[in-house]
Amino acid sequence: MSLVVTRPGTQEGSPMSQPTPGPSAQTTSPQTPSTGLDVSAAFAEHGSALLGFAVNALRDRALAEDCVQETFLRAWRARASFDPARGGERTWLFAIERRVVLDVHRARQRAPLLVPDEHAPELAAPAADPLERLGIVEGLARLSDEHREVVVAVHLTGLSYQEFSDVSGVPVATLRTRCFYALRALRTHLDDGENLS
Amino acid sequence: MTDPTSEPAANPAGSESDRRAELIAAALASDLSPAEAVELDALRVVDPTVDDEIASLGGVVARLGPVGTWQDAPADAALRDRVESAVARDGSSDAAERAEPAAAAATDAQRAERADPSDRAEEAAVAAGAPAPLRGDASAPVVPLRPRRSRRVALTVLGAAACVAVGVGGGVLAATPRDAHVAGPPGTLGAVEHVAFAGEPSGVAVDGDLVAHTWGTETVLTVDGLPTGQAFSVVVVDDTGAEHESGAFLGTDVTIDCRMNAAVLREHVVAVEVRGADGVEIATASVPSVDA
Repeated sequence: MSLVVTRPGTQEGSPMSQPTPGPSAQTTSPQTPSTGLDVSAAFAEHGSALLGFAVNALRDRALAEDCVQETFLRAWRARASFDPARGGERTWLFAIERRVVLDVHRARQRAPLLVPDEHAPELAAPAADPLERLGIVEGLARLSDEHREVVVAVHLTGLSYQEFSDVSGVPVATLRTRCFYALRALRTHLDDGENLS
Repeated sequence: MTDPTSEPAANPAGSESDRRAELIAAALASDLSPAEAVELDALRVVDPTVDDEIASLGGVVARLGPVGTWQDAPADAALRDRVESAVARDGSSDAAERAEPAAAAATDAQRAERADPSDRAEEAAVAAGAPAPLRGDASAPVVPLRPRRSRRVALTVLGAAACVAVGVGGGVLAATPRDAHVAGPPGTLGAVEHVAFAGEPSGVAVDGDLVAHTWGTETVLTVDGLPTGQAFSVVVVDDTGAEHESGAFLGTDVTIDCRMNAAVLREHVVAVEVRGADGVEIATASVPSVDA
């Protein structure tokens, strides 16, 4: 059975809620009419973004899938506390997943490393703050596909706008404008994260 | 609703701001043509916010560095099925738990003398850094993901960032500083120095080590018997009498193994104290002086 993942350009901070019918009609998954959490619809709407966050945060597809599963389990258990007035379903799910990923990330950091005597135990501190990286990865994952693609192509992969235009068929002007708004959305996400911390 | 970034040419009213966005985006990617560079300079004169925007978004671009490459990961039907099965199983499991509390209690009673050793086993696994509790079997039709205990385990994983619980699988702690291979007198960088605590109330046991580092002094504590849920702090006292916060932890019904750090060099440390939330000393260790 195939699943068509629909994520119609939901953007960071968009007031659009997602009452997308999704594929729930063809499944028998639990639903709660009182809170509106439809696991199937929520997965169809946000599953890829949530998985993208976990995969790129942890660099482990299997572990990332476990995180997504755990995220939906926690959301399901906490569905009574979900208040759409305090933010969209996407924001709520990402908040849950952030904690799941952080738990796993920290647990993995505790993994003992077997090293030769001469290399133990005065280890240098990591060059980059891993929590900073998690925040950036989450921000990228929460962008719309179009926004993320151009940021990744230009600022991570290092393509010029013209090169990415040749590949994607999208005019350079459009890509530039798109990247501008993507970076703004990313900035909003990062600012919000710092305000929370 | 349309995406304002997808069809800029179709929105003449927004063309000016779109051009501003284009030029800023190009500048951030060092993608300006000579003519565009001139155009941007002219825009800066009439719109002083351009420089602020470039600086601000440039900061965002700079922070992308640690991400490295990006891996697209579309969620597939198999994962959706796993999620739905896990949720469905969770619901049915909760119902079963409500229906058969006696059976659950009997299962726990059979396991060991402690209240709930399975949780300790999970905590011990976490102590080893094993993400095993989250590792499901993708091929399983119904995901066996701790339907009844995952909430507690999840919290425990977080706690493991600072503290390690020693449970039925205590042997997994083989890589704690106690087993480090650096040896030497007190003050040797990286060497583990045992310190004796005294003054604990009846039923409370505190044991500890110090590890000297270039950046401070690490305290490694093993604690038993402190009231569950109450907060305790660890303070390192230096040779001037100044106190340095080393960290805090909650009492728990299992043996805890806690690592904390204080921003004071070992050569200046004269005592380590465990205190209750009200500041009352629970246990104190006097440590020998070392040469700088």
